[in-house]
Amino acid sequence: MSTEPRASAAARTPRDLHPVAWWVWAIGLAAGASMTTNPLVLVLLLGSVLLVVAARRSDQPWARAFRLYLWLAAAIVVFRVLFRLVFGGAYGETVLLDLPEVPLPDWVMGITLLGPLTLESLLVGLYDGLRLAMIVVCVGAANALANPKRLLRSVPPALYEVGTALVVAVSVLPQFAESVRRVRRAQELRAGEQGRVARLRRLLVPVLEDALDRSLALAAGMDTRGYGRSGAATPAERRTTGALMLLGLCGIVVGVYAVLDRTAPRLLAVPMLVLGVAAAGAGLLSAGRRVERTRYRPDHWHPAELAVAGCGVLTAAIGWWVSGHQVLVAYPDVASVPPVSALALAGALVAALPAVLAPPPRLSAARAAPEPSRSTDPLPSSTPAPRASTR
Amino acid sequence: MSRARFRLRERPEARAAAVPLSLRSVAVLAVASLAGLVMLCWPLFVQVQPGDRVDPPFLFLALLPVVVAVVLAEVSEGGLDPRVLAVLGVLCAVNALLRGISAGVAGIELVFFLLILAGRVFGPGFGFALGALSLLASALMTAGVGPWLPYQMLVAAWVGMGAGLLPRRARGRTEIALLVGYGVLASYLYGMFLNLSGWPFLLGVQVPGHEGSLAYVAGAPLLENLQTFLVYTVLTSTGSFDTGRAITTSIALVVLGPAVLGTLRRAARRATVTGEVRAAD
Repeated sequence: MSTEPRASAAARTPRDLHPVAWWVWAIGLAAGASMTTNPLVLVLLLGSVLLVVAARRSDQPWARAFRLYLWLAAAIVVFRVLFRLVFGGAYGETVLLDLPEVPLPDWVMGITLLGPLTLESLLVGLYDGLRLAMIVVCVGAANALANPKRLLRSVPPALYEVGTALVVAVSVLPQFAESVRRVRRAQELRAGEQGRVARLRRLLVPVLEDALDRSLALAAGMDTRGYGRSGAATPAERRTTGALMLLGLCGIVVGVYAVLDRTAPRLLAVPMLVLGVAAAGAGLLSAGRRVERTRYRPDHWHPAELAVAGCGVLTAAIGWWVSGHQVLVAYPDVASVPPVSALALAGALVAALPAVLAPPPRLSAARAAPEPSRSTDPLPSSTPAPRASTR
Repeated sequence: MSRARFRLRERPEARAAAVPLSLRSVAVLAVASLAGLVMLCWPLFVQVQPGDRVDPPFLFLALLPVVVAVVLAEVSEGGLDPRVLAVLGVLCAVNALLRGISAGVAGIELVFFLLILAGRVFGPGFGFALGALSLLASALMTAGVGPWLPYQMLVAAWVGMGAGLLPRRARGRTEIALLVGYGVLASYLYGMFLNLSGWPFLLGVQVPGHEGSLAYVAGAPLLENLQTFLVYTVLTSTGSFDTGRAITTSIALVVLGPAVLGTLRRAARRATVTGEVRAAD
């Protein structure tokens, strides 16, 4: 409680929350949602997500994608219910609509279309569909809230090279349009084959050559800045790394098998998975130690980040507890109105807290306005400096 | 005077694969592929006691990213050459661009075209990394990250790796024919694997005893589930999306393959040559 005023004071200055915090929150919610089919709980969780996204979404392009995820989620639910309608499969007693059965020919093995439509089978489809839709919405919320470029910057050191390749990929993309324009202009000045395929080939090969040339120039630049320095890992350290990774993966394989095969000893299931993931994580840490690089303006974890991530973890924990101890709340019977417990409601409430706990996002509209601290800047930030088209 | 003062001495292993795979990396790749395969194919093998409640294992959606991350860390463990890394980044961008362009048009999918060619030229390790990363990059750029992404990354990585493992000898028309054959196979397999990953999630898990629908029946005999799945996959995508992908990939490979292969080979030569420059005596 004592941290509350500090958190709210810090929350007043607009800033981007650490992207990993948003992802932890969203994955926590998705985990919580995956452990229940109770439509009331799921709809409450959906409300929480919508509230947080509405309150803390920035006006950057990636934030606009959230609507697509909502459409996709709706499509999933509709698909699931329609599927129940078309591929009936008699289930339950309350017949809503007695449609004629249409048996399909033999080669599709006894699958029948339509048939009596029962309330139970529709509801089962709806509940299951809602659960998957909710997971999609949670991931969509993380996409909308977390800045993908900053997320790339906070990849673990073990994936440093991979992260660099991705950064190269993301930042090189706008150059292609320019490259295509240049090649086109050059080709208009020359005669050449005019067939459709030949034209495409004449365009594609120079553009690809250009892109690869650029990449090699970029590599030379990276080389001179000391990128290619290999770390100081001793052979023993590298052996440890490899052993940890292999052990971790083996643990995961055994754990996955035991989770699926209910006759395997339970000790091999979740504990083995936890061990495997822990060993793999240790391997990643150990592989990351060879990378000795500093980060330019690293994102820090402030209390607000911890609070948002904590909300996600708490939601997942509550979902897990409810699914274990209040089975009827987590997986309600389709024949009656789904019951709700205070704890399940609390889970949805905790999920909505980041709407208050997270700082408001920086809006680019506000950023474009001249800031007092930058008033000494000779160029107004809204007009970009003219750049020579060198490359 | 006319003779070059310096000459490049290539080491014997100088023209190795772009991303060298040590024995350890191969072991990690194999175990990780096994883990991925189990997480993909579980519906066909799972055994249940009557009365058990079977939920789609959402746990796998969280586990698969860990597996993919470990493999990528292992592949790049020795530290990638900056040239290889820059080429990887640029090819990822081209692939993401191709995917973005072709995503709008139903049935046309060009992701595999460059992935197969690059895997062929740069080798299996590079193909694996390129397959996983180009899907990740395109998902990040179009904000298309979702629960399906780890599965897509894994299967696309397999496609790239497989292209690198094809017989090296073939050249010229044989090579293009080989790549087209592989492309068609990969297109259908990719669609089937992704359908298999989504099947229990999308259609739900059927209670045993209520057959006659397309949904997955937990604990039913392997053959029955396999048949149901095949009908499901033929109805939903094999006829439409996968065929479209196979056709566009083959056409692109035949029409543009030779030219792009040449371009990539030139780049590979420059990106993977290692050696030392010594003053001539």
